[in-house]
Amino acid sequence: MSISKETLKAMIKEYDGLDISDSELELVLPEIENYLIAANSMADLDLSEVFSGRLYRPQEGDINEPI
Amino acid sequence: MSPSDLLQLSISEISPRIKNREISPVELTEAALSAAGKLQPQLNSFITILDQQAMAQARIAESKIMNGEYLGPLHGIPIGIKDNIETQGIRTTVGSKVLGDHIPSDDAHVVALCKNAGAVILGKENLEEFAAGVTSNNLHYGAVHNPWNLDHIPGGSSGGGGANVAARITFASLGTDLGGSVRLPGTFCGVVGLKQTFGRVSQRGLMVTSYNGDHIGPMTRSVSDSALMLQILAGHDPLDPSTVPVPVPNYSENLNQGLRGLKIGIPTNYYFDLINPEVESAVRNSVTALEELGAEIIEVSLPSMKYAAAMRITGMADGIVAHEPYIKNQRDDYGPSVLYRALAGQFVLGRDYSKSMKVQRIIKEEHALVFQNIDLLATPTAPIPAPRIDEDKFALDGDEYPVRGPGSGMISRNTSPTNSTGLPAISIPCGLTPDGLPIGLQLIGRPFEEQLIFQAAKAYETVSPSLNSAPPVTSN
Repeated sequence: MSISKETLKAMIKEYDGLDISDSELELVLPEIENYLIAANSMADLDLSEVFSGRLYRPQEGDINEPI
Repeated sequence: MSPSDLLQLSISEISPRIKNREISPVELTEAALSAAGKLQPQLNSFITILDQQAMAQARIAESKIMNGEYLGPLHGIPIGIKDNIETQGIRTTVGSKVLGDHIPSDDAHVVALCKNAGAVILGKENLEEFAAGVTSNNLHYGAVHNPWNLDHIPGGSSGGGGANVAARITFASLGTDLGGSVRLPGTFCGVVGLKQTFGRVSQRGLMVTSYNGDHIGPMTRSVSDSALMLQILAGHDPLDPSTVPVPVPNYSENLNQGLRGLKIGIPTNYYFDLINPEVESAVRNSVTALEELGAEIIEVSLPSMKYAAAMRITGMADGIVAHEPYIKNQRDDYGPSVLYRALAGQFVLGRDYSKSMKVQRIIKEEHALVFQNIDLLATPTAPIPAPRIDEDKFALDGDEYPVRGPGSGMISRNTSPTNSTGLPAISIPCGLTPDGLPIGLQLIGRPFEEQLIFQAAKAYETVSPSLNSAPPVTSN
């Protein structure tokens, strides 16, 4: 999975992001690639019924409750 | 006992002597300041050494003791504070040029707690720029050097604190841990590093960070000292909504109860999947030692850890939010490692941020299930020993990984998951590589069960091959 520099530059322009030059984009790309790999790793997960990790329950890990 | 001999003791060894007026806080602080000045050219572990302020605090500490006002085990003890934790009237740079002249108007809550306990603040300690990395090789303030081998990194981002505690300059240092930044200097410098449960210690006064996973925690020379430090730091802070009003137990109470009856889980996946053979050997040996001490060792599976990397997505997005105003106004003052890593955060999609938080929930739930059958998890703290300062990459299992900057993260793969899950974890020294570099064992516990972590860590400490070992570069 990859994303083109053109797309990244368009995102910066359209979303009022922080500018990155062409040469700087080369230096940012390894971090973006790590992000895309991590995001892609969740592709097979149905997370629609899962609560956020920042919400606490008194009995986390209760085996009778779906996660 | 000579002044430098005093610095070789632990807090739990020296504090009764201070209480009994056998050792003077002024004498102790003079010795610590002398050591700090002498070793600074080699270690570069401080950004600011507080000679005058420390001596003034020491004189007040001594005066109180002479007046019968003993404040507890930290009274008169020289400690260090990482330079991203606010100190009133004292420059706090966050290791950056951006905040190079920043002088906070207030102390961080933890600093106030340490001062109220009588601690002497020896200095502000060097760190990775903006605490965003594991090397403590700081572009603006110079690289911190590891006292076990000056050519190697001390770990980071709280590297100055790790180096100072290991080199017997400070008795404890306060670091911050957003992905392992207390535990990694712990393992690389051969000291004890604690990241307690999220919500146990106030983060108020911790600068330029993500409040979703950062923790202020202590580095010490012993498990007993770690328990003493947490006793002072722990508790609800009404002005920090991330803290929770859970009662604070006596962390030193069960320290000597041993391991008999405890069940320790050894993960069959993730934590040992990518690991340097020397590190694996030392950690496996420590597991054998835990068993010989009476613990029941149980293999456990954590299948959801295959999604662990996804938990970092929230940190990427949180990071750009923390840095955005500084990048907008002072972009040229950033070093490239931090700048280009931070800028990537602006491309994180809201969908992926939400998914990341839900994966965090799944992993927390899975850990909670596993912790119904075990008391603690034992893992390597880091997959490798400390890399050399001049290394940009390291090899592991046939692949190369960046040590710092965009694309890095492999060194913190075993520590960063608990920053997301919030579970407490400690790193304890468990031996040396054949080249003399320290290795760390990580024990992870259930939420708010630091007492049990200390109990197990203390039992192991007594048989660890690292017991009573000290680096070649120390104050002695």
